Amino acid sequence: MQQPIADSDVTAGHEPSGETVLQVSDLRKTYGSGDDAITAVDDVSFDVDRGSVVGVLGPNGAGKTTTIKSILGLVIPTAGTVEIAGVDAHAEPRAVYRHVGAMLEGARNIYWKLTVRENLAYFAALGGQPRDVARERSDRLIDQFGLRDKADETVNDLSRGQKQKVSLACTLSRGTDVVFLDEPTLGLDVEASMELRRELRRLAEEDDVTIVLSSHDMDVVEEICDRVVILSEGRVIADDPVTDLVGLFQTQAYRVTITGELPDDDRNRLDARFNADSWEHHGAQTTFDITLTDGDVLYDVIDVLRAAGVELDDVDRIDPDLEDVFLEVTGTGPGPETGGPGQPQHVASEDGEVSR
Amino acid sequence: MSSNTAPATPTAGLTHDADTSIRGYAELLRAVIVKRFLLMVRYPVNTITQYVTLLLLFLVMFYGGSAIAPAAITETLDGIIVGFLLWSLSIASYAGLSWNVTREAQWGTLEQLFMSPFGFGRVMAAKTVANVLESFVSGTIILGLMLLITGRTMSLDPLTVIPIGLLAVAPAIGIGFVFGGLAIRFKRIENAFQLVQFVFIGLIAAPVDQYPLLKWLPLTQGSRLLHTAMADGVALWNLPTGELGVLLVTAVGYLVAGYATFGYCQRWARREGVMGHY
Repeated sequence: MQQPIADSDVTAGHEPSGETVLQVSDLRKTYGSGDDAITAVDDVSFDVDRGSVVGVLGPNGAGKTTTIKSILGLVIPTAGTVEIAGVDAHAEPRAVYRHVGAMLEGARNIYWKLTVRENLAYFAALGGQPRDVARERSDRLIDQFGLRDKADETVNDLSRGQKQKVSLACTLSRGTDVVFLDEPTLGLDVEASMELRRELRRLAEEDDVTIVLSSHDMDVVEEICDRVVILSEGRVIADDPVTDLVGLFQTQAYRVTITGELPDDDRNRLDARFNADSWEHHGAQTTFDITLTDGDVLYDVIDVLRAAGVELDDVDRIDPDLEDVFLEVTGTGPGPETGGPGQPQHVASEDGEVSR
Repeated sequence: MSSNTAPATPTAGLTHDADTSIRGYAELLRAVIVKRFLLMVRYPVNTITQYVTLLLLFLVMFYGGSAIAPAAITETLDGIIVGFLLWSLSIASYAGLSWNVTREAQWGTLEQLFMSPFGFGRVMAAKTVANVLESFVSGTIILGLMLLITGRTMSLDPLTVIPIGLLAVAPAIGIGFVFGGLAIRFKRIENAFQLVQFVFIGLIAAPVDQYPLLKWLPLTQGSRLLHTAMADGVALWNLPTGELGVLLVTAVGYLVAGYATFGYCQRWARREGVMGHY
């Protein structure tokens, strides 16, 4: 975890192998029966490629944990199949546990009274790893996670971030190549969270480890996930690469800044043709948002402004982040189309040149 | 089973196929024993307290009984020593398992045990073996102290005492599996754990000679034969075959029934989605 990765490069340049290592088909889990039945997971299907990082997102109660636990066999699903590395996870769970590890409760799922090294040895044995292999891997993981000077301290004496690292290292000490993580950065300070994010990306990119994680922290998901599966009320409502999802919303909204008074007729025309809204006046400047069906239509807006004789100061693309997308697709908040949260990203200058 | 997904391939030194053969299982057993030993050594006060508590209990029984009914205590002292030994062994084996499940659920490590390629039941079995080993070591120490305090001598032929002791304790392990399973499904059942300890006393002291059918209950036959072997000095091969048969059948029967109940309860907990909850 010593090599910093520039934020902008964190997901760039890594192409997952294209081999499907996890295949979830029509997964369903219903608790209770009759009128009292509650369907927590409803026909969920998705695939995960080897070496990729996939985020499972959803509002509270969306079925994320039940989905992950059903995949892992910790919950017996009502219907559906799960294949991991070509093995039916529910028919042959022991064969699947040769490949799968999980960090489900953060730092809770390790033994706090044992040292880092003792934990690693214990979990390696639990995963059926020969002692010599386990010892070698333990040394590597200790170095990799920057725990060399803490290796012989009991976990109880470590910081929360270090405990999380030990927990992840213990999951990996079992020789697993598919790892499920539930809220891996929960409770970590910024620095520890950044370190863990870098490590997760590195595991996927360099060690070809497949990672499926759930998190409420959209920054984490956006930064390290190749793809997200968004659940709502137990169903998959989006299953796309992060860049595609964000890009889908990115193409539609702009914030325009002009100097000068726009005649009412022109303003009405913008409202009608380009869904202009959120009009605000700041001294001589006026800003408004427009939602376009196509980026080229922006030139038509500029033509209207030019004809009205006002000076175009700036056009900013309202650049949604994954949180905006999440709120939009789950219907849990305002999205970029409605003037919701989002960081404007500069795409055009006074001369009207659009750079998208 | 369809196989649309790609087969696993070891990658970059982080992954290595699991060895779940006898050798791998021996490695797991070793790790479980090492972990227990480390915790015993690392927290000596806790370990010593367990021994002192047992010893104090015996001292209260011995000196208290001697003060109230000295003749009765002298006549039944061998029985008390053997019974107390079996009780301490049974409690350690039973409680080690049922409490262990509860603690692992509290720690959040129960699900990690479940996701072992060895299988949950076998992992718990390994932990049980470690429990029993530890209980026999502690039982030997307690027995030595009891004999020292009372000034009695007993036949301690290991070829007789160890097999009978193991078979005698097996039903307690079976009951431990039952309560371990119930703990996975229903969580907070610690009060029931406590009650079982008193039930064990009744079973160990059950009047099997008077009511022969009682020998089919857990611990009763083991208690009787262990007393015969230790107090009367009868070797294993001189014990009646039929009586040994009853011991064997009850040992295996209760152990298998307990293990099956444990399996049923963990499946029940997984159906209800409460595996690992606490």
